[in-house]
Amino acid sequence: MEFNKQNLIRVIESGWMNFKRNSWLAFGTVGIMVLALLIFAGLVAFNVISRTAIASLEEKVDVTAYLKTGVSDGEARDAAKRIGEISGISYVNYISRDQALEDFKKRHEGEELIQQAILELGENPLQASLEIKAEDSREYASLVSFLEKSSFRSLIDKIDFYENQTVIGRIQKISSGLRVGGILVTLVLSLIAVLITFNTVRLTIYSQKQEIEIMRLVGASNWHIRGPYVVEGAIYGIIAGFAVLIIFYPVVYLASPRIQAFIPSVNLTAYFTGFFGQMLILVFGLGIALGVISSFIAVRRYLKI
Amino acid sequence: MIVFEKVTKEYNGMLSVPNGHAKRGGNHNIFRALDKIDFEIKDGEFVSIIGPSGAGKSTLLKMLIREEAPTQGKVLVDEINVADLADGQIPFLRRKIGTIFQDFKLLSNKTAKENVAFALEVIGVGPDQIEDDVSKVLRIVGMEEKNQNFPHQLSGGEKQRIAVARALVHRPKILLADEPTGNLDLLNTYDVIKLLMKINEFGTTVVLASHNREVVNSAGRRVITMDKGKVVKDQEQGKYTI
Repeated sequence: MEFNKQNLIRVIESGWMNFKRNSWLAFGTVGIMVLALLIFAGLVAFNVISRTAIASLEEKVDVTAYLKTGVSDGEARDAAKRIGEISGISYVNYISRDQALEDFKKRHEGEELIQQAILELGENPLQASLEIKAEDSREYASLVSFLEKSSFRSLIDKIDFYENQTVIGRIQKISSGLRVGGILVTLVLSLIAVLITFNTVRLTIYSQKQEIEIMRLVGASNWHIRGPYVVEGAIYGIIAGFAVLIIFYPVVYLASPRIQAFIPSVNLTAYFTGFFGQMLILVFGLGIALGVISSFIAVRRYLKI
Repeated sequence: MIVFEKVTKEYNGMLSVPNGHAKRGGNHNIFRALDKIDFEIKDGEFVSIIGPSGAGKSTLLKMLIREEAPTQGKVLVDEINVADLADGQIPFLRRKIGTIFQDFKLLSNKTAKENVAFALEVIGVGPDQIEDDVSKVLRIVGMEEKNQNFPHQLSGGEKQRIAVARALVHRPKILLADEPTGNLDLLNTYDVIKLLMKINEFGTTVVLASHNREVVNSAGRRVITMDKGKVVKDQEQGKYTI
């Protein structure tokens, strides 16, 4: 059949008509697609949460090298500068003894007993330290062994990495687990969502098996038969897309403060409002693609001449 | 012009056809539905093909619209061997031929009018002409009042009249009717036959397959009698004699 405007309009009209007249069947199919798309949207949210959570966990990890009491300010600053130049180190912060005492006092403001104890000690009991942060938490072990062998080893009293080692290791395990798990869950659930949608559309079209056969016998070309079903599939996708956005955004809005209370760095509402355009494209694109491809493949089975 | 030239059709595997003669060939049970069929139908003829069920009437008609392909021999429609048609060409063959089926084969989610219009839509006729032609043909079959009804809202006779309208609306050169009255009562049967005769008078070749004695005798035209896949009789002014 010739591909022209009249035929295109006819096919779209006919697809829309099918959709309206099969409304109950369509309702079911759209429902399944909504579920599938919600799974996708949920996966996006899950990945956002886990990525931010991992980042904030890793942010918390650092190594502190406590300096010997006799080390001068200049020596300490020089060491800080040189460590900062090593690749993979995101920042080094030198905390002098006075600064450390100040911080300590501030932290324990209002705690009479501690304040008094410091006063009674007369001298500053705290050590100067270098707070070192690496870009990747896996690099701490090599950083520490580097410090052990370096020329400023003589300045360092102790490195708290050894005390924190298990915690750092655990955080690493959790974060890589979350990453791998996220990918796996995304893959498996996406596959399930696609299969369920495909099967539902296939069943919808199976119920039209006889109609397709009749159209063939009347002399309709494959394009003319398939077109309306593909359009119908796209309509399912569009409606499902709308439904998903209508459900997803309020849920995000409601859930966001709760999740933020749990992981403060995660702000879902801000994230999904910021990426509204992308979500729109993702949800509608996926919905339409699912509907169109499923219909296309499902009809093909019955087009054998 | 329709020509059957030594047409044989065989099916592999077990087919439970009461009158078919199954024979063993190799590891398969080969069932011969048509056996060296040889005849011609001229333009404008009205031909009844009769015979008991399983005689091969339907298979013969299915070959004309290439729903089936012959195992051997040639089926020519307007000098084109339908077996040679590429898949993409088959719809064009079917548009030249109107077909009426025993079970009507109407599209259940389209109205009567849309069902008829569909045959024109597939050939790419414009909307205005569709409107015109469809109302005309609905008037001919007497269904203009129920044109907005869906098939499930129509009686058997009405459905068949819509099916006839659909088979006619694109003015095919050939009209095939496979047991068109099989599901109809006597009154509706005569209506449909009268319609077929009228269509034939306008110059359309009509091929009617039937095992209904009254139908064939009331037409009083050429009768081809089939049995067990063979043509056993071909009479110009035939009667149903089985």
